[in-house]
Amino acid sequence: MTFEERVARLEAIASALEHDGVDLARALELFEEGIENLRAAADELARAEARVQRLVERADGGFDVVDAAE
Amino acid sequence: MTSRRAPRGAESADLDLFALASSIGEPAHAPPPAPEPLIDSTRYPGETAASAIAVSLLTQTAKDVIEGAFIPLWVRGEISDFKSHRNGHWYFCLRDGQAQVRCVAWKRDQRGIPAAPDDGMQVAAFGRLTVYAARGEMQFSVTRIEAEGDGLRRKALEITRARLEADGLLAPERKRRLPPFPRVIAVVTSPDGAALHDIVAVTRRRGANVRLVVVPAAVQGETAPEELCFALDQVNRWGGADLVIVGRGGGAREDLWAFNDERVARAVAACRVPTISAVGHEIDVSICDLVADLRAATPSAAAEAATRSRGELEGELRKLSLRMRSATRALVRARGDRLRHIGRDLASGGGEQVARRRTQRGAVSGRLHALSPLATLARGYAVARGRDGSTLSTVAQLSDGLPFDLVVRDGTVSARVERAGEDA
Repeated sequence: MTFEERVARLEAIASALEHDGVDLARALELFEEGIENLRAAADELARAEARVQRLVERADGGFDVVDAAE
Repeated sequence: MTSRRAPRGAESADLDLFALASSIGEPAHAPPPAPEPLIDSTRYPGETAASAIAVSLLTQTAKDVIEGAFIPLWVRGEISDFKSHRNGHWYFCLRDGQAQVRCVAWKRDQRGIPAAPDDGMQVAAFGRLTVYAARGEMQFSVTRIEAEGDGLRRKALEITRARLEADGLLAPERKRRLPPFPRVIAVVTSPDGAALHDIVAVTRRRGANVRLVVVPAAVQGETAPEELCFALDQVNRWGGADLVIVGRGGGAREDLWAFNDERVARAVAACRVPTISAVGHEIDVSICDLVADLRAATPSAAAEAATRSRGELEGELRKLSLRMRSATRALVRARGDRLRHIGRDLASGGGEQVARRRTQRGAVSGRLHALSPLATLARGYAVARGRDGSTLSTVAQLSDGLPFDLVVRDGTVSARVERAGEDA
């Protein structure tokens, strides 16, 4: 899951929990999922690193993305 | 009379010189050879009616002489009689108070001319004086024109802008939102330029989790428009980016001109993902700026707009965890069961103080943990679940002898109702 998808999922979980009719069992599941997502998202942030690469078009029309020499 | 004598004098002088020259190193007795006539009148074309030359020889000779005599140069004057022929060539006159010269700007030479000049414009035109031998006409062949007050560039901008506007490419409703969390940003710029350096530096400083993929293109000079279009097209064909920054650092006005090129503007508009135009100029707005989804004044500003800092994102996660927490607290309160006490414990802030002492990131998941039913189980509470997985939270859900599961901290216990009674 991308960071964006995780945040979107967390939004959905928060909204679901804010909804009055949510069942406790469902809330438990949502929480487990929420924690999982939150931890993964935070881990991803901790590893955050900007990479600089370069697009190279191959003769066959395909593309390679190679790390740029700095 | 003098004029008739002078050639004779010259002739005699030539003869004297000849005698002098031949006397050096020549035996004195050798007879001097007969002097060659300076002009052989019998071989001089056009000297007599009988030796008249063809018109084509005359104009061709004029062409050779004139075109050999002038190097390309700038000429200033006023444009008049401008005509754009349907074959694409431009014909006009350049004139001042005393004279005029016919001019042509061949279609292939018009690339260095921002826009067609208008009659009455004061311009400097760069070109080569040529002769159109077939018509015996002198013609100044123009490859560049600069109008007073930058009039041609302004005119070119207006024309381009009007064309793009007519095609709806400048419409505000066309502007797309930038992706909130871009992962791969294509950077269309010179690989050695200041713009790339600035974008990389800003992105790193913000701790953004992003890949910058450089798509190299010249950003100034004659080939810049084609190279920019090609690079933008590559980004589309590749399809791996979710945002494009196209731009360059600041420079002289003519250095930025590629970003006013209609082809480049259309290539920006054709990008399948949102675009940020980042041409390093503060005052002028380029055509690319108008077409892009966002205009940044500098490449650094583009990187700021494109990426979100780690701190920002951490704040976002904290907000989400807070939302879940208060939602859960409300949920717990709404149920009149034992979980209410847990909610009260949490509201009293014991968990909160602990969480505050943790690092920012730890705090995010720490708070969630404190609120999680899992954490509740860890403190010794158990959840009763039916065999279908549903939570059994009321007496009505339990009947004598009903098998169910007890979820405790480290696992699940199979259980059976001994006697279902009334709520205490």
